[in-house]
Order: sequence, then C-alpha cells, then structure tokens
Amino acid sequence: MPRVAPSTFSQYRTLLAKDLRQEFRTREMLTSMGIYALLVIIVYGAALALTAHGVDIVHMGGGLLWVLIVFTSLLGLARSFAREKEQGCMEGVLLVPLDRSVVFLAKATSNILFMLAVEVIAVPLFYFFFMTSEPAAPTLPFIVAPLLVGTVGMAGIGTMLSTITSNTRSADVMLAVLFIPLIYPLLYACVTATTAAIAGTEFWTDFFVMPLVLACGYDVVMLLVCWVLYDFVVSA
Amino acid sequence: MNAVETLHLTKAFGTRRAVDDVTFSLPEGSFLSIFGPNGAGKTTLLRVLSTLARPTGGEARLCGVDLKENPDEARGLIGMISHQSMLYPDLTAEENLMLYAKLYGVANPAARVSELLDAVGLSHRRLDAVRTFSRGMTQRVSIARALVHDPRIVFLDEPYSGLDPHAVEIFDELIGAVRGDRTFVMVSHDLAKGFSMCTHALVLARGRIVTFAPKDEIAFGDFSELYRQTVGMGVA
Repeated sequence: MPRVAPSTFSQYRTLLAKDLRQEFRTREMLTSMGIYALLVIIVYGAALALTAHGVDIVHMGGGLLWVLIVFTSLLGLARSFAREKEQGCMEGVLLVPLDRSVVFLAKATSNILFMLAVEVIAVPLFYFFFMTSEPAAPTLPFIVAPLLVGTVGMAGIGTMLSTITSNTRSADVMLAVLFIPLIYPLLYACVTATTAAIAGTEFWTDFFVMPLVLACGYDVVMLLVCWVLYDFVVSA
Repeated sequence: MNAVETLHLTKAFGTRRAVDDVTFSLPEGSFLSIFGPNGAGKTTLLRVLSTLARPTGGEARLCGVDLKENPDEARGLIGMISHQSMLYPDLTAEENLMLYAKLYGVANPAARVSELLDAVGLSHRRLDAVRTFSRGMTQRVSIARALVHDPRIVFLDEPYSGLDPHAVEIFDELIGAVRGDRTFVMVSHDLAKGFSMCTHALVLARGRIVTFAPKDEIAFGDFSELYRQTVGMGVA
C-alpha cells in the first residue's frame, strides 16, 4: 500500500474539516450554544427589567456580555469533546501516526469558529436589547478586539480542559470548576477592555490597550502550554 | 522476525499492576488469542501494544520497532478493531474512511476507500451516515477503517461484542478474507471461538501470563481444563 507521509498542515486541515462537516450536518453545538445565549439574554432582561433606569448599563455591559460568553462557551466546549468520546473516535485518531498537538490545534480552531459564530448573533442581540437606551460611543467597534482575543484563549484552554475532564465522572462540572479559575486573568482583562470600548470615556485607551496586551500575552503562554502538554494529556 | 515482542512489560495504575512482567514473542503472520477473566489486564495489554497507553516498565516492540522510542513508526504498523467502532456516527461510511485514509497519508485515498467498501460489501451504503447502520454493518466499516493503511499487525479487542450470530459469521469471513500474511492479536472471552481462530494462545490473569503456547502444542480440551484450573480456581 503506497503511503506518502502527510504534512502536519494537511492532517490539521483534515481534522478541522471533519469537525466542521459534523457540526454543519448536525448543528448540535451551534444550536445548543445559540439557544443558551438567547436564554441568558432573556434572563438578563428579567433581572434588569425593574432596575433599568438605576443601572449603569454602559459600565456593566462588558461584564454581562462576558458572563454570557463564558457560560455559552462552557456548554459548547463540553459538547465538543463528548462527540470524540462517542464510539472511541478519539482513540481512532490517536492510533494514527501524527503529532498529537495537531489534534489539539484542529479541535481548538473548530471551537473558536463555533464560539465566534454564536457571538456574531449573541453580541448584536445583547446590544439591541440592553445598550440602545444609551448613545453608542464611537469606540464601540473596538470591542471586536477583546472578543476575539478572549474567544481564542477560552477555546484553547477549554479544549485542553475538556480533553482532561472527558474521562472524569462529572465531566461538565469538572470542566467548569477548572475552566473558570484558569481563564480568570484573561476574563478580567477582556472585561476591562470591552467595558472601556463600550464606555468610550476620556483616556479609554488606558483601560483598553494594556488589558488587551495582557490578554494577548496570556493567550500566547496558555496556548503554548496546551500545545506542548497535549501529547502527555492524551497519553496519560 | 517477530511481529510482537514484549520483555518484562508492566503497566501500573497507582499501586495496582494491570499488566505485570509480561514477556512473550509472537512470530509474524501468527494469530494470537488472549484469554482471561474480567480485569485480567487483556485490554490494558492491547492498549499498551497499540500505543494508546504508555507502559510503566519493560519493553515492547512491533516488527522490531520499539514502542517507547518510535511510537509513530509503530502506529503506522497497526490497525485496531474494537467493540467500539472508532467511527464518527454523523459522517458517512465513505467520509469516515476518507478521514483515516488522509490522516495515514494513503497515496490514492478515494480508490483505497472504494476498494475497502467493496471488500466489506457496503459500497451501496457508502453515502449513508454510520449512525443509520446496524451493529454488524458498523463493525464491517470498522474493519475497513482498521485496514485502510494496510497494517502489518491488527489488534482485535473483543470484536464480537454486541454482534448477532449472523454478523459474527460475516465478521469471521471478512477477517479470513483480509488476513493474508498479517499478524492478528485478539482479546476474547469466548474460549472455543478464540482457540479455533488462533495459532498461539495466551492466558492472562491478574496481569500475569499463565500460559503462552502455540496452538499445535496443546489440545483444546487440555487448554480449557488448564484455563479453568488456573483462572477459574484462582490459582493465578
């Protein structure tokens, strides 16, 4: 049987295409994450309904938005690996002679894409329901940057943790227990940067640039750690 | 050359040794059946030999390739058929096989997949999602998946689990058809069936080898009596 050693990139592309094809066929993750995001917005509506005029929504908006993103992501991340466990698919992939970090990279990429797809719907909805009572700051479009940086970091760390917790008895709970403390620095930085962009007050860049740089640094360090440790995690 | 060689192979989980000081050599082209009661370490031994688990101690070689030193090279030599199909249920039979063919770097994946689907008699269902297949059909696709890169050694981990008698018959025919000069290592609970298929038999109890012998050196009656005496009476 003639074989050509496939490049790491072609294996990455094959694994990513597999994840995308599965999701577009079942829409399992996108639907559940989308519905969950919508439900969180409805709950926010109820929670803020009686206090709408007394709440500084401009300064709370960033935090509320990230609560929505974090919990929606948790739901998707838990699902993403559960699918790999079904029928031992992950073991089938691990039997292939490939750099196991490629498995991590492909899974993290697909998680980033699914999370971004949900954010594309959820963030405008959140803005429409809660932020339109105040005039939009000219800096509002800059929220894209912390959203992107935060999503990349959360997807990377979440992919690693969902791999670790998938073999535990209470995988969903374990994922949340490990995920939230680990992403806390990233979350804090992203909430600060997002709030700065939404508020757009004087000296807003002071509260935007530095947290964003810290969030980028955190992403790089954590993704490198995940990349390096993934082989050990799936073999242990 | 020996297809499988182990020397004092050990796999421990904490203080418990699931595989304990296992040493044996299996010539190429042989069919080894591994027997033993539940918890004897059969599946763990197979997982170590297939690189899915790292040994705690000792050595293992597949066709002369050391598992610790060259795990990727060893992975290219093996195929695995388990009671789990390792197939993505939402992908079609063809998509599943193409996925593995591309990951293994098979030179002409489309032609190879088509050839294998013909061989397992599922060409007509190639575009159907694996989720819609019966257990027997899924196991046939699983055989095709395991052989997609033409491995020299095939591991079978309780492959008959959940198959009805007719599916067992088809499975046996397929294994016979694809056997060629490959080496097979099968974990089985069915003493009569496993013994009828093998060229070598190995009995494992509490992680240790109780018996390892070529089939032509031992009659089935004596073997089953020995199995009952050592395993059934808790001697091992």
